[in-house]
Amino acid sequence: MRFLLTAARKDLLRLARDPMSLLVWMGIPVFTGLLLLVVFGGRPATPHGLLLVADEDGTLISGVVSTAFAQGELGKMFLVEKVEQAAGRRRMARGEASALLVVPKGFSEAVLRNQRCQLKVVTNPSQRILPRIVEEVASVLADSAFYVNAIAGDQLRVFAVPPPGGVWTYPDATIAGVSTAFNRLAESLRKYINPPVIKLETGVRKDATPEGPDIPKLFFPSMLSMTVLFFAQGLSGDIWKERNHHTLRRIASTAAPLWQFLAGKLIALASALALAGAAGLACARWLLGLPVPNPVLAALWVVASGAALYLFLTLLQMLAASERAANLLVNFCFFPLAMLGGIFFPFEMMPAGMAALARRLPMAWALMELRSLLADPAQPAHAAFAFAVLGAVCTLLFLLALARLKRGFAE
Amino acid sequence: MIEVENLRKVFGELVAVDGVSFTARPGEIFGLLGPNGAGKTTTLSCISGLLTPASGRVRVAGRDVVREGAQARRALGVVPQEIALYEDLTARENLEYWGGAQGLRGAPLKPRMEEVLELTGLADRAREPVKRFSGGMKRRLNFACGVLHHPKVLLLDEPTVGVDPQSRVRLLELVRAQAQAGTCVLYTTHYMEEAGTLCDRLAIIDRGRLIAQGTLAELRSMLGERDLLRLTGAFRPESVRAALERLGGVELLLVDQAQVTLAMPEASRRLPEIFAALAGAGAEVRGTTLSQPSLESLFIKLTGKELRE
Repeated sequence: MRFLLTAARKDLLRLARDPMSLLVWMGIPVFTGLLLLVVFGGRPATPHGLLLVADEDGTLISGVVSTAFAQGELGKMFLVEKVEQAAGRRRMARGEASALLVVPKGFSEAVLRNQRCQLKVVTNPSQRILPRIVEEVASVLADSAFYVNAIAGDQLRVFAVPPPGGVWTYPDATIAGVSTAFNRLAESLRKYINPPVIKLETGVRKDATPEGPDIPKLFFPSMLSMTVLFFAQGLSGDIWKERNHHTLRRIASTAAPLWQFLAGKLIALASALALAGAAGLACARWLLGLPVPNPVLAALWVVASGAALYLFLTLLQMLAASERAANLLVNFCFFPLAMLGGIFFPFEMMPAGMAALARRLPMAWALMELRSLLADPAQPAHAAFAFAVLGAVCTLLFLLALARLKRGFAE
Repeated sequence: MIEVENLRKVFGELVAVDGVSFTARPGEIFGLLGPNGAGKTTTLSCISGLLTPASGRVRVAGRDVVREGAQARRALGVVPQEIALYEDLTARENLEYWGGAQGLRGAPLKPRMEEVLELTGLADRAREPVKRFSGGMKRRLNFACGVLHHPKVLLLDEPTVGVDPQSRVRLLELVRAQAQAGTCVLYTTHYMEEAGTLCDRLAIIDRGRLIAQGTLAELRSMLGERDLLRLTGAFRPESVRAALERLGGVELLLVDQAQVTLAMPEASRRLPEIFAALAGAGAEVRGTTLSQPSLESLFIKLTGKELRE
């Protein structure tokens, strides 16, 4: 049994002496992932825009208009910047902002006196969504002003006149009068404001067509699977190197059991994949900010699926009559596995028919299991079943590969 | 000890080894001599357990290689014809791996590694990757990996092919040292001179069959005390054959349109007579080579062809 470790050490040393291959096997998935991030633009985006506000009224009520855009969900979308109207128009001409909102002088008074007034919105024609949002919100604000005026216009109109004596604050008597008036108003509206208690249960139904895929979350399992595929494909070719360099023939003439020779290769692959998987999961957690609920199980899955794939490709390599034929045979399997297995193109981006077909491939199954380990809390029974299936597949492939190695290939 | 009895190996229609039998004893260098494709490597592969014989029996150190393969291989050291090393590993790492494959590890491995590195003259390059080694150095390391575990039986398959003269001398010394230490060495080669100087006993193999075996003296005696005369030029084989048959004591070993090879006692004295006979047969002689009895002449006598063919 101790030759097993010697054999694994030998293959790990050889792997370490070939950093370029490691770089390529890990680099291509990373490069592809970055490319996809650039193309698809990362997470489902909240549009960000700049809203210029020219508040020429400068009152409390006109201030409400600009602060409406700086709060809540709108606040996540817009950066609000106060400007002079002329400067704002110049910047709009240069296309620097999504929209310019002009609150004219006398806006507050007009609102309080229920007079006609106009909010002006200048929009950027090169943008579609954000200027439209500004228009809609401005319209809602105008409607709100109308309704507030209809309900509490009399009480508010007190403030249409500046405080006497050129001071900033209104006399206590005025404030108390308005407060009492509001109280009475509230009392009269109580039956509307405080209607009989209706217990309302709310539930959130997820939209069938969500806002768009979360690209890092969608592609990260694919990138890991791509790494697995490259490692398995690259290392499976080593069996021909062993044969062409006559080391396979030599080992077959020693006392070392061939199963330990093959298992040593498997251990080397598993160790390399465990490292690559752990590094990938750490990057996902700390760089991409993805939740990784089952890191150990996910890493184990990467290793186990890599072992199965390696054994399958090694068996194919050994079934071929020459190294060239082996490369053709392996590539014949490699590309469909990569293209249809959801690795280069996630199922979500495939036409429905093709996605349905792709999901039936073994590579796709491995990928979906990995996705579920990376997305959901562990489901022990399901995970145990998946690992058991993979273990059985690995055992079968190992025995087949060993039989081929002993009967013919090593000779 | 190697015991081979009626070994036969067939690949499809091709009979690669046909009824080969020989015994090699401990402390002996037993040479298996034959041209390329004669069946030497196939015989070795059957002995090392790489190939399963179609029939016959092979025993290594008293163990049957088919029924007791693992035990037999434990006693075996193999130095293949090709350089079977990991070029990206160092000499030391290669030795560790091949030693491990033969069950050598831990405390006994390190001193033995140092010993074989010294023996093969590679101690100062032990930490370098093998890919930086010259062909001769690789050959020596190839040898070292085969003898690291003190095998009772050592199979050497043309270990000096493509080796510079200096490394060849060193390798042959190493082989002799192994035999002196009591190892049974089976040495295949197609170099007559090497086989003649190195081997205690020899077997000549051609087209899968063993055609002669014994010590060098025994093999020479099969040829008799006869010289070998090789003539080159332009010949008409039928006329030459007829003309030489009339001369007593001359054996025609080989004749074609470009050369004639004859075996006879005291050939130098009979040269005028032979030239006259050949002239009478319309031959034009352009070159003459006279040599003492050798393995080559024996091989030509036994097979009717030269070893290098």
